[in-house]
Amino acid sequence: MSKPRIVVIGGGAGSAAAVAELRKQGFGGDITLVSAEGTVPYERPPLSKEFLLGTSGLVPVKDAAWYEQESVELLLGTRAIRVDLAARTVTLAGGAGLGYDQLLLATGVRPRVLPGVDGDGVCYLRTAGDAAALRDRITAAGHVAVLGGGFIGCEVAAAAIRLGKRVTILEALPTLLYRALGPELGEVVAGIHRDEGADVRTGQQVLGVRSLPGGGIQISTTGGAVDADVLVVGVGTVPNSELAGQAGLAAGNGIKVDECFATAAPGVFAIGDVAAQQLPGSGGRVRVEHHDTAIRHGRVAARNMLGQREPFRDVHWFWSDQFDHTIQSAGLIPGADGTGELVIRGSLEQRSFSAFSLDGGRIRAVISLNRPKDVLDVRRLIVRDHRASAGQLRDESLPLKRLAAPAVPATFQARA
Amino acid sequence: MNLDDLWEGDMTAVTVDGETVLLVNVDGTVRAYSNRCPHQASALDEGDLDGDTLTCAKHLWEFNAVTGHGINPDDAQLKSFACRVGDDGTIYVDIGR
Repeated sequence: MSKPRIVVIGGGAGSAAAVAELRKQGFGGDITLVSAEGTVPYERPPLSKEFLLGTSGLVPVKDAAWYEQESVELLLGTRAIRVDLAARTVTLAGGAGLGYDQLLLATGVRPRVLPGVDGDGVCYLRTAGDAAALRDRITAAGHVAVLGGGFIGCEVAAAAIRLGKRVTILEALPTLLYRALGPELGEVVAGIHRDEGADVRTGQQVLGVRSLPGGGIQISTTGGAVDADVLVVGVGTVPNSELAGQAGLAAGNGIKVDECFATAAPGVFAIGDVAAQQLPGSGGRVRVEHHDTAIRHGRVAARNMLGQREPFRDVHWFWSDQFDHTIQSAGLIPGADGTGELVIRGSLEQRSFSAFSLDGGRIRAVISLNRPKDVLDVRRLIVRDHRASAGQLRDESLPLKRLAAPAVPATFQARA
Repeated sequence: MNLDDLWEGDMTAVTVDGETVLLVNVDGTVRAYSNRCPHQASALDEGDLDGDTLTCAKHLWEFNAVTGHGINPDDAQLKSFACRVGDDGTIYVDIGR
């Protein structure tokens, strides 16, 4: 009998984590990692930060020698174009077929492309290739325009300013990071960018983009025209779920998986940005596009592929570095339909605060600016029994750790 | 620095001959490491010590505070310094210079 084979499609950090966990758990079968990108899986977060600044190169999650050592077959620069669930085969571009016993789909997302916003001088950022091209463009530019005041846009703007460039940020919503932070906290971030010299123009829709005769690009907006040398577009993402959809899997906004990352097809799992999972306490299925989450997905999914039924319960966490400021968050901040109240600890004026989502005496999530320790504490509290009031959270003299319910000694538990 | 000032479960950063050193006390065992996270050199004393797990606040890299081995990622390693506690409780660190 031949050895079982696990095929992983996608070359992000989640894939690398899954492959490493499969070997760590003692899986001795064949592993093939298929990635459309030409390099081994690498750390994506620096691409919008240190990589643009030139203070970091491309950082592989594991170097190429590791895959060799662990007998992981790498098919890089190779696109998977079809999955046959019944025959358990993957067809690669060029026609080659690859049989699998189990399949992990980690195809990620791609930048949402605005119709008509393309051509020379327009950059989108997702891959190492995108980042290298963007770095060259920014280095050569005098004026960098950024379309979209989300995390990618804000980080690229910060890097460009650090590189001495003139920067204009165009955002349709009322302030920067509006969806993630809301109006009040988003405005704090907008203030940081303005103080660093960015021209932040919010509430403006882009009407069109055209190349200028002498080079450069003109962006027409509802608030007037902006001429720039390069336009960086960061307006959200689209899940790469077509492969799964064509195979017959449920894949509307992402690939539908259960709490253990299994799809409806036997032996087929999906993780990372592309996986749409029902989360405890959230209304519907969500895709979580965080680096740390993708890695944790990979580890848990790998164990489940080897026969465990381990539900994913890890707390979602992310960070964003802009200038010398760090934004961090733990848990999932409720959207517009969320319940509960937002409580601030620290000072918006001093740009050092944590905003807690408090619901029924429990902390559901936190987002903080320059207070990473709070986020560490909350990350632990969320999964433990705790009680918190708005007053306690505002009181900076009270360590957050103290909100954990005291562990009850076993003797008392027995009597209770 | 005296052991009396570093309680069990506590950590603190001290400067030894220009080097910032992280001292941790896990159940009475004192260890000394470079205070710079091997990931991006963030100050480890701004993170968290929970049991024997040391977490860097910057990007949540986790280490075993007794061995210095990485937990997440598991191929990381803290730079450790030789360290001993004298009879009077004084903590001595050898940064190898």
